[in-house]
Amino acid sequence: MEEDNHQDGEAQEVKISDSQPESIPPADILLGNHECPEPVEGNHSTADDRNQSVDSQPSHVGAEESGLDADVPPHLGAKLEPEETKDSDCLNNMSTHLDGTETEVRVTDNDQSDSGEFVVTMLAKAKLEEQGIGVKGRPSPLLEAGIQESPSFKSQRDEDVTTDSWRQHRKHVFVLSEAGKPIYSRYGSEEALSSTMGVMMALVSFVQSGDNLIRSVYSEEHTVVFLQKGPLVLVCVSSSRQSEQQLLGELLYVYYQIISMLTQASISRIFEHKKNYDLRRLLAGSEKILDGLLNLVDSDPSFLLAAVHCLPLASSLRDSLSQILQKAITPNLVFSILIAKNQLLTIVQEKTVIEDARLEPADVHLLLNLIGASSAFQAGEIWTPICLPLFNPDCYFYAYISYLDPPECTVCLLLLSTDKEAFYAVAECKRKIEEAMLTQNSLSLIAKAQLYSVNQVGVSDLRHFMYKPFDVPDNYRQLTQFTSPEMEAPYSNEEEKMRLLDLYRYMHSRIHSTSRPLKLIYHVAEKETLLAWVTSKFELYTCFSPLVTKTCAITAITKLLRWIKKEEDRLFIRYPPKYSTTPNPSKSSKSSKSEQQDSTDNGYLSPL
Amino acid sequence: MPDLSKMKKPDVKVVLLGDMNVGKTSLLHRYMERKFKDTVSTVGGAFFLKQWGPYNISIWDTAGREQFHGLGSMYCRGAAAVILTYDVTNWQSLAEIEERFLSLTDTANHDCIYALVGNKADLTDPKVHLSQDADGQTKDPTGGDEERTEPQVLSAVPTPPASPTSFSGLVLHKQVTRDDALSLYERILRYKGLDEKSSLPADKMCFETSAKTGYNVDVLFETLFDLVLPSILRKRHENRESPTVDLEDSGGVGSKRARSSCC
Ligand SMILES: Nc1nc2c(ncn2[C@@H]2O[C@H](COP(=O)(O)OP(=O)(O)OP(=O)(O)O)[C@@H](O)[C@H]2O)c(=O)[nH]1
Ligand SMILES: [Mg+2]
Repeated sequence: MEEDNHQDGEAQEVKISDSQPESIPPADILLGNHECPEPVEGNHSTADDRNQSVDSQPSHVGAEESGLDADVPPHLGAKLEPEETKDSDCLNNMSTHLDGTETEVRVTDNDQSDSGEFVVTMLAKAKLEEQGIGVKGRPSPLLEAGIQESPSFKSQRDEDVTTDSWRQHRKHVFVLSEAGKPIYSRYGSEEALSSTMGVMMALVSFVQSGDNLIRSVYSEEHTVVFLQKGPLVLVCVSSSRQSEQQLLGELLYVYYQIISMLTQASISRIFEHKKNYDLRRLLAGSEKILDGLLNLVDSDPSFLLAAVHCLPLASSLRDSLSQILQKAITPNLVFSILIAKNQLLTIVQEKTVIEDARLEPADVHLLLNLIGASSAFQAGEIWTPICLPLFNPDCYFYAYISYLDPPECTVCLLLLSTDKEAFYAVAECKRKIEEAMLTQNSLSLIAKAQLYSVNQVGVSDLRHFMYKPFDVPDNYRQLTQFTSPEMEAPYSNEEEKMRLLDLYRYMHSRIHSTSRPLKLIYHVAEKETLLAWVTSKFELYTCFSPLVTKTCAITAITKLLRWIKKEEDRLFIRYPPKYSTTPNPSKSSKSSKSEQQDSTDNGYLSPL
Repeated sequence: MPDLSKMKKPDVKVVLLGDMNVGKTSLLHRYMERKFKDTVSTVGGAFFLKQWGPYNISIWDTAGREQFHGLGSMYCRGAAAVILTYDVTNWQSLAEIEERFLSLTDTANHDCIYALVGNKADLTDPKVHLSQDADGQTKDPTGGDEERTEPQVLSAVPTPPASPTSFSGLVLHKQVTRDDALSLYERILRYKGLDEKSSLPADKMCFETSAKTGYNVDVLFETLFDLVLPSILRKRHENRESPTVDLEDSGGVGSKRARSSCC
């Protein structure tokens, strides 16, 4: 390693930042009143709330940012009616290019800027010194035994980390232990990267020792974001131009996915017990789950919005499905979830569980990712422990996963129990559900359900939108949802889809900027015009054809909101049903570590 | 058809155990669906029902990852047969059977049958490819059957059985010999406190298979199914009055709850 590099002086371009870099204000017109920013309701807020309660590290976004903004009292009641937008004469055209001056660098209270350049030199410019290819199919015993896998098997983990193509990945993600042991790398094997990880670790501990928790480093091309959660350090090296907060949010999802497999309690225990434990022993085989998560994070706006997307369905059909789930219960069953085409159809919860906690979108995202990653078992019925980190980071649920429509396998039933031994009882619930769905012909009705086209809204210039109400009526404080039409031309190919998502991400970062949150942004991009608007009731992102006028856009949004109101029953899960399976099941699932649901129950710690 | 079989209660339980990546899921997939497909490392365990004549055999495909180790004894509870699987190209995977998996079978039936299976034989033994036909497996080495990149050289060969010479130079070193397996089997019997003479002979219960070509896969499962028949009949007899078979109660040691509730 070359720690000495950080002595080099010139660090004009690159600084370590404790806050999000603000892009240049004149680029966009700021609407709404700055004096009354609403509490940021982004995907990080819920997560961060939890962080603080479960983690004493002060290094996370939520905690410090509130300090920065202390002079701006959070204002809850601000309401922006659509008409108000007319008042703003400052809506004007501006063409902000995402590739513009966004790399403006913030100098902050941290004067360790030389190390900033150090890490950027090391990571962003990726002058990696690693030798050898470190080919590694997966960390299997096959390899431990010294057998070379043949070169015909190439996955992203086998990538040669010395090549340009490796460096050019849009977003690298690394996970390492506090002691600097590599745990996960999105591209290339952790082994091949171990010296890079070492460098990152050296940097993290260097800054930590100065009482200055490093959070992010910017260069012209890359943003490097660090997140420490308990004994794990997560690093993202991104050229995606997302905000620090968004990247932190994504790292948090990675952390939570790891927690969902191992629980927070067992991870802390492992590292308390042995500081340089090689966590890959326990995570071996889970790389595909993390890879899948990161791909979803990049391609599915559910993660950005921290909300779930349900499949549009006639409310009568959704209700009948819910009733079917509601009737097929067994002791200790706490959640029954029906999924089609990777989207929610309905969720039914145990009564007492619903009282003291709600299912967080992030937990649902992790579950959906797990199901997606285990598609190999479509024919069988899976029974596996899983932790819902936002619900309770220290305990396991037992998930029963089975497809209801083999061999197509698009409709998936997920039943969560708190009882490890309940497989046969839970499998019996599935039989009941299957039977009921057969008599009601539900499967063929579900098969007809699909995403809607934006044309149904009947607004000519509207190309796409994402609408996230903070409260779906009759679903008070339940599951945060959003609705969005299919991405159609010109966003039908992957590249264009990604470009639109990037624009949304940009709008999202402006709306949720910690130092200058905005309520309304009108953004004229090269090939489209976007309008993002957040009120106390909803968050809305719209994409119009490029030539739409402001007035047009605003009328269009009024129309859109009216349409959504009219379609609400179909677009969202309302009246979430409940059932009661046990006198007191929530006690065992939601309660403290002292309960029997403790992770040792699963013997996960048996290697220790 | 699968729905009908699922309505019935399983008569007997067979469990696949072994280190991650040895090919448990692939073996089962080959047997059930006659295919060799890309797999994802198993999470927890996956339950399958196989109709065997008039009987319903439940098969648990378990995860080999250390992460799920603690669940193994649950999946094994009341098992009538356990398939201990290793990878013939990986000596450590054989050692893991003794170190990690054997103790999980403490919850199995007293008369549980053990099979020791060395998978991926195609990697070390070219004959395995040729014997595919003799084995009576579905011969479908084309297209859809192997729709993926694989961690071994053979995938470079479009139709392996048609060109046996093309891989002759690329055969992997076999790390586990049949003798290693036989002697492990003896040790398993000893661990179980079983008498070698009255037990099934090692020769009969040690298999080498290839999920990839199908070599010996049917033989393995069908030998086991035949061997567990007495167990099925006995259980049917025991449960004559209540047709509901409770797998949890059929032999093995008692509930593990007491042990597991502590921190
Ligand atoms: N050449 C060859 N490869 C095989 C064979 N069986 C499995 N594999 C490969 O070995 C890898 C692991 O196979 P799996 O069936 O997923 O292994 P597993 O034992 O179920 O692993 P876990 O679920 O993690 O415990 C896959 O890449 C398979 O394609 C075989 O007979 N021959
Ligand atoms: Mg498997």
